[in-house]
Amino acid sequence: MIYIENNATDPFFNFALEYYLITEKNLNADQIFIFWRTEPTLMIGKYQNTIEEINEDFARNHGVKVVRRITGGGTIYTDMGGWQFSFITRGQAENIDFNKYIEPVIAGLEKLDVPAEFNSRNDLVIHGKKFSGNAQCILNGYTLHHGSLLFKTDFEQMVKCLTVDDNKIISKGIKSVKERVTNIFDHLREPIDTDTFRQLMVESIMQGSKKEYRLTDEDLERIHTIAKEKFENWEWNYGKSPKFNIIRTGRFDGGKMEFKLDVNKGKITDCHIYGDFFGSIDILVLCHALIGCNYESQSIKIAIAQCDIKQAFYNIKVEELADIIC
Amino acid sequence: MKKNICMPKLSEKMESGILAAWNKEVGEKVENGEVLFEIETEKVVSEVESQESGMLEAVYFEAGDEIKVDEIIAVISCD
Repeated sequence: MIYIENNATDPFFNFALEYYLITEKNLNADQIFIFWRTEPTLMIGKYQNTIEEINEDFARNHGVKVVRRITGGGTIYTDMGGWQFSFITRGQAENIDFNKYIEPVIAGLEKLDVPAEFNSRNDLVIHGKKFSGNAQCILNGYTLHHGSLLFKTDFEQMVKCLTVDDNKIISKGIKSVKERVTNIFDHLREPIDTDTFRQLMVESIMQGSKKEYRLTDEDLERIHTIAKEKFENWEWNYGKSPKFNIIRTGRFDGGKMEFKLDVNKGKITDCHIYGDFFGSIDILVLCHALIGCNYESQSIKIAIAQCDIKQAFYNIKVEELADIIC
Repeated sequence: MKKNICMPKLSEKMESGILAAWNKEVGEKVENGEVLFEIETEKVVSEVESQESGMLEAVYFEAGDEIKVDEIIAVISCD
């Protein structure tokens, strides 16, 4: 097993590193291990509907990054108080196997007297509370297993990021399962800091091996490109969501307004507007403007601005209307 | 000759999987070893490669559908 030290905290870069090692760089190693962390980030499962899983307004206003993983499962929140671990293994097991990746992690925690167990959802728990989610993908002849470790994560912020408005969304994607969580730090006999925890875990998992690969300038350049082109891209993070229907309702002094939208590959494909204060104005103009536009605030504002909404909706600003829709 | 493509069983406890995405469309040519679709089960996303070369003749499910192990997902008419 080869260790790659990665101190970058940008989630787009860190996911690009995994992707680069799987799809481009052949390190000629049976297994690569990376232990890393991120700035506050929401990591969405590959086949999830992003807007169904996160509180986007809160995330945007608090600088929380949003990125889709290449692995399955649900959405998690990560910050500088937690760690992520990745095992990239050449080949593919006949049967899905989480144990072989999780056992070394449990063994590392045992050395710290933390009583960790594995539950039926492939999560790690302490006294029934989750502190680690795990997911995999099989891609290009490699198996990627990565997992999270909550060490000293801000749960208040986590809950706010994952508390979604009560929109009526109908979709087929993979749904997240809410579980009770706990931080490893709260179960330590002797308190240690976040960096010491990393050092001890890496030493334990590498079992004293010093085999290491240092990323070259050439590697870094490609990884930055992949980060920008793939993982930071709206099309990947939002546009790849499975198709869904959403109902959004807004209230004004003048009455109530309801949008029923079909969204496919991140674009509005159908739109119906219902309300009790339209009078004789033709709302089809607005519907037509919205169809084909990305289901994203800025695109919607541009689309609305093209319609003469002052005539159609008394006292409603473009921003207010866009806020109802998205 | 026609070949049925079924939902594979990827673990002991797997009973069904979600068809996550199609990489091929009906009518498209498929080569042996090309990725046909992706499935997700137990938080694992797997590419499923075609074991046949031919034309994708029919698909019975769309992305997002949950499919039982061994259920027929698609038919390939082989070269």
